[in-house]
Amino acid sequence: MTIELPDIIKEFDLKRCMQCGKCTASCPAGFESNLRTRLVIYLAKSGTDVLDMKELWCCTTCYSCQERCPKNVKVTDAIIRLRNLAVRNKNFPKIHIAAINAIKDTSNGFPLTPEVSKIRSLLGLPIEPHDVAHDAEELKKFKILLDSLSLLDLVEVVPE
Amino acid sequence: MKYSLFPGCIAKNMYPSIEKSTEIIFRQLGIDLIRDAYTCCPAPGVIRSYDFDSWLVIAARNLATAEKSGSDLMTICNGCYGTLHAANQHLIGHQDALKMVNEKMSTIGVSYFGRTKVVHFVDVIGDMIPQIRENVKVELGLKIAIHYGCHYLRPSIDSGQNPENPEILEGIVRALGCESIEFPEKLSCCGAGGGVWSGDEQVSLRILEKKLRFIKESGADCILDVCPFCHLQLDQGQKRLKARYEIPVLHLSQLIGLSFGTKDKILGLHTHMVSTRDIARKAKKARREIALDGD
Repeated sequence: MTIELPDIIKEFDLKRCMQCGKCTASCPAGFESNLRTRLVIYLAKSGTDVLDMKELWCCTTCYSCQERCPKNVKVTDAIIRLRNLAVRNKNFPKIHIAAINAIKDTSNGFPLTPEVSKIRSLLGLPIEPHDVAHDAEELKKFKILLDSLSLLDLVEVVPE
Repeated sequence: MKYSLFPGCIAKNMYPSIEKSTEIIFRQLGIDLIRDAYTCCPAPGVIRSYDFDSWLVIAARNLATAEKSGSDLMTICNGCYGTLHAANQHLIGHQDALKMVNEKMSTIGVSYFGRTKVVHFVDVIGDMIPQIRENVKVELGLKIAIHYGCHYLRPSIDSGQNPENPEILEGIVRALGCESIEFPEKLSCCGAGGGVWSGDEQVSLRILEKKLRFIKESGADCILDVCPFCHLQLDQGQKRLKARYEIPVLHLSQLIGLSFGTKDKILGLHTHMVSTRDIARKAKKARREIALDGD
């Protein structure tokens, strides 16, 4: 999938934004970080590059802004797609690579640990949950599927 | 009635007490939970933020698994619901997207026809209030701080809920003989979503702490959540903060389990980070009063 800023402006109706600020006022992350949703939308709809804004990654995707937007701008969906674009510019928090690698290796974002295996056993649950992670054939197929997607290539970090 | 249970990574691999409690209460309600082989939903915060199409394909593989097994898919997690419900709506509404995921999945012999129905367990429970009442053995009388979490409510175009004034959990809490107490920021985020939990611990914890402060002031006996990821943040997060809040955290399946008369240890309440001792004690006392077997 190729993504361009004009597509995001169009798909999520950013031009409708009248800068009322209800998004910023509704944003739980904005109170605790530099994220100013109104500003992100203002810059994006004006065609300005927002991809290196670190606060793009402070959004918890709670959807309060999108829910309350009086002009029905799809604010949260736009932020998510702006992140997609930032990732294509290799602008993303490297810390997330661990979760993506966990999915690559085990099919789960939070893999089973020996400690939790013990708790599972203590509770009388099967030590290995019934899932793709513990089904060799399905896991093999999942890895083939994942390899055919862009996700892993996108997060591949070029050594500096 | 039967559902294909989609427990999600966190209930399986971090809070198995939630998986166990879910199995117990649905057995008591006469609903079969079948188990199919799923992957991560995948996480709406991280994976969707990185590549929408990859997120859609991985979700479609899970939706196709449920479709093949012939059951509606039931999640016990807002994150899984956020992904699977939203991805499903997107695929049903966009033929080109459905075609794209099917092309990708054809390499492993999987196809999706858009027939899976994704339900959140809260909606299943909310439709069974008379059966819930019939099964309540112990009225705990707890003062409860309800935490809906985000992706059960929002975006409402997908969830069909009233995101500013939801009532379903209040009704369930009442049916269990408990009391829902009001507090500021009740409907706001726990701070875990969107990749912030792993991406920016300080921001994540500050959002959490604001909410915890209001809950502490409200005098609630415990927090009630309907999502293992919120549960992780609310329970483990309390231990990552300097200030001590010590507010017990229960997933709805666990509160129902206690109310249906199952012992706290069987439900795994002792495996949480924040002590649930006070809740367990109240449950034990209530069980003694009605001389329930096993104590």
